[in-house]
Amino acid sequence: MPAEQALTVLVAEDGAADRLLLAQIVRRQGHQVFTAENGEQAVALFIERRPQLVLLDALMPVMDGFEAARQIKTLAGEALVPIIFLTSLNEEEGLVRCLEAGGDDFMAKPYSAVILGAKIRAMDRLRRLQATVLEQRDQITRHHHHLLNEQRVAKAVFDKVAHSGCLAAPNIRYLQSPYALFNGDLMLAAFTPSGDMRVLLGDFTGHGLPAAVGAMPLAEVFYGMTAKGYGMAQVLREMNAKLKRILPVDMFCCALLLNLSMQRGSVEVWNGGMPDGYRLAVDGQVLSVLSSRHLPLGILDAERFDDSTEVLPLAPGERLLLLSDGVLDTADYQERLFGVQRLRRVLADNRDPVRLFDEVMQALERFGGRPRDDISLCDIRMFSAEERVPAPMIYSDSGRSSPLDWSLGFEVRGQSLNRFNPVPYLVQLLQEIHGLRARTGNLHSVLSELYSNALEHGVLGLDSQLKRDVQGFADYYQERARRLGVLTDGYVRIDFQVEPQADGGRLMIEVRDSGAGFDVQRVLSRPSLAQELSGRGLNLVRRLASSAHWSDGGRCAHVEFVW
Amino acid sequence: MAVETDFSQDGKKLTIKIKGRFDFGKHQEFRDAYERQPRRPDSVVVDLKDTTYLDSSALGMLLLLRDHAGGDDSDVRVVHASSDVRKILAISNFEKLFDIS
Amino acid sequence: MTDMHIDHKVLSDLREIMEDGYLQLVQTFLDDSEQRLDQLHAAKSAEELSSAAHSFKGSSSNMGAVVLASLCQQLEERAQRPPLYGIEDLISRIDLEFVEVQRFYRGEQQRISAG
Repeated sequence: MPAEQALTVLVAEDGAADRLLLAQIVRRQGHQVFTAENGEQAVALFIERRPQLVLLDALMPVMDGFEAARQIKTLAGEALVPIIFLTSLNEEEGLVRCLEAGGDDFMAKPYSAVILGAKIRAMDRLRRLQATVLEQRDQITRHHHHLLNEQRVAKAVFDKVAHSGCLAAPNIRYLQSPYALFNGDLMLAAFTPSGDMRVLLGDFTGHGLPAAVGAMPLAEVFYGMTAKGYGMAQVLREMNAKLKRILPVDMFCCALLLNLSMQRGSVEVWNGGMPDGYRLAVDGQVLSVLSSRHLPLGILDAERFDDSTEVLPLAPGERLLLLSDGVLDTADYQERLFGVQRLRRVLADNRDPVRLFDEVMQALERFGGRPRDDISLCDIRMFSAEERVPAPMIYSDSGRSSPLDWSLGFEVRGQSLNRFNPVPYLVQLLQEIHGLRARTGNLHSVLSELYSNALEHGVLGLDSQLKRDVQGFADYYQERARRLGVLTDGYVRIDFQVEPQADGGRLMIEVRDSGAGFDVQRVLSRPSLAQELSGRGLNLVRRLASSAHWSDGGRCAHVEFVW
Repeated sequence: MAVETDFSQDGKKLTIKIKGRFDFGKHQEFRDAYERQPRRPDSVVVDLKDTTYLDSSALGMLLLLRDHAGGDDSDVRVVHASSDVRKILAISNFEKLFDIS
Repeated sequence: MTDMHIDHKVLSDLREIMEDGYLQLVQTFLDDSEQRLDQLHAAKSAEELSSAAHSFKGSSSNMGAVVLASLCQQLEERAQRPPLYGIEDLISRIDLEFVEVQRFYRGEQQRISAG
């Protein structure tokens, strides 16, 4: 009778006749048999032939079955080599000894071929089960190492993409797990050419590589556009469109995007799906809450996407605290969540802003929560002028051909003023002038300032005196959006003229608007601080350019850069 | 079953009920609930009365459902959400896409 | 032929299982058994006696010598309960029973070698 699977079997039995009989029974069942007379021989044969199954007489001379079993089990290691004890011991004690020595089953004398066959088949099933488990375990281990390596590579690539950030700026303090990328948590920061600081806190759905993969294109858009000076609305639209295009329907990215402008003493905020951020006074008191008002990125198509932002005042020394939902979702052993209330209490109890981070982390630890891998915290202090860092300059050419004799007129009219900001494109163009490349930041600041003056005070007729307090800021920007929305006439025109001059050259910029103009002398004579925060930043412009003056009743600004 | 489906008498409204945690573990069942129907319903109601918890993968599943039901032309309602669940839906501003009550 | 000394079901199984090895088995058993009897007689302690009886029980039961096996079982148990009165008698009965078993199996050998 052929066996289901032929095994190699070791038979160790000291009685010669019994040994003969048993070996024959097992052989007839289709297996390959070799025999031993005592325990010592049995162990030696096991080492030499590595049988898959062992039939062991309990009482043998030289080394008995119990000791042989113990040694064989040790030699077998992780693999299961079933041992069937041959015994006429029928006292419980004897049978217990067999089990304790590592025996898996017993056979009594007289031997029954039928019963032995059944036992061998049963033991073989167990043996194969163990072998399968070990093989699968090894496979899983291999795959795990493979996955870890893939993640390492992904992270290395991502770090290269994200390297141009300014998270190390002196006014930012942050905390992020090294696994953040693979939890979908993202933290990016960069300066615009005019010195505004832009920060993005993001949280992709999912975990592992799927969550990490969306972070790279997003980071490229963020860094690329921020370095070129694009406004928040434009960056948001581009990020949303990109994610909508590349992510599957059920994936999206919650995001909180901020733009800190020291020039304007304000922070512009867009929050789509992230937990509340907090605007804190110098003494740590909560001044306002940056709540989620939008759907996360990557869900809506371009027509429906809402890029409207909130603008709040932010004076030097005031701070913003941002966090990912890993903080609030930290759970204790009873599955209770840390939650907003506890966080607000930590904020309220905080006396020394420098210690706020530590106090939040300590509160999380005390809460007894299991530490999570997706806790991200960011504390940003409104910076002072000295802390600004010039943005890295992005050149697309080798720097050898520089047009020095040209002019350009660019006019934006009516509703185009609502959706289109020409400043980034024009600054790009000006980068063709090599002599001015070192002052790209200043160029951007000046052009932005002149353009926003022309648009907001000129065409829209807004009064910046409104921007006195939080409500005032909100009202101002609401009114700005409203007026832009219904605008039909009006224009802002920008003219460039470039001429060579001795070893260098001269750039003349004119910015004209269709508004009512203003009393230039009166504004220029106001104390400079008052002027900069809610005025037309005229002194700033004069400081950054080589020269500046206004004509046509304030409707036309003339600025020169000489190199 | 943790995900139950029910068709209205006229076959035009499909109700999907989620019991317990609405998370990634329910992914296949939830998809089967609306994909494996013989007819496409005119409207879909997601009943969260017995839903104890909702995470971002559940939000993703709702987006998939909405896309399957016609995207911007779909009629998907989310009903009987507990206050905890509503908070989660509110942070992501999902009421801009779904009728939530 | 019915025989009190040998269980014929076991016997026929043995013949079937062993095939051409049947004769070798029988010879091995007979040689082995003589050794075991010597061990029985030479045993110096109750333990040795019990152990030898145990082994002989095993091999005789495998060969279908049920009465022999039963006697060995009794000896094994008796030897564990000192004082060992009557043990000599038991051993003699084992000797006698073996003579019968031996006679039977020699008969088997002759039968098979002849036919």
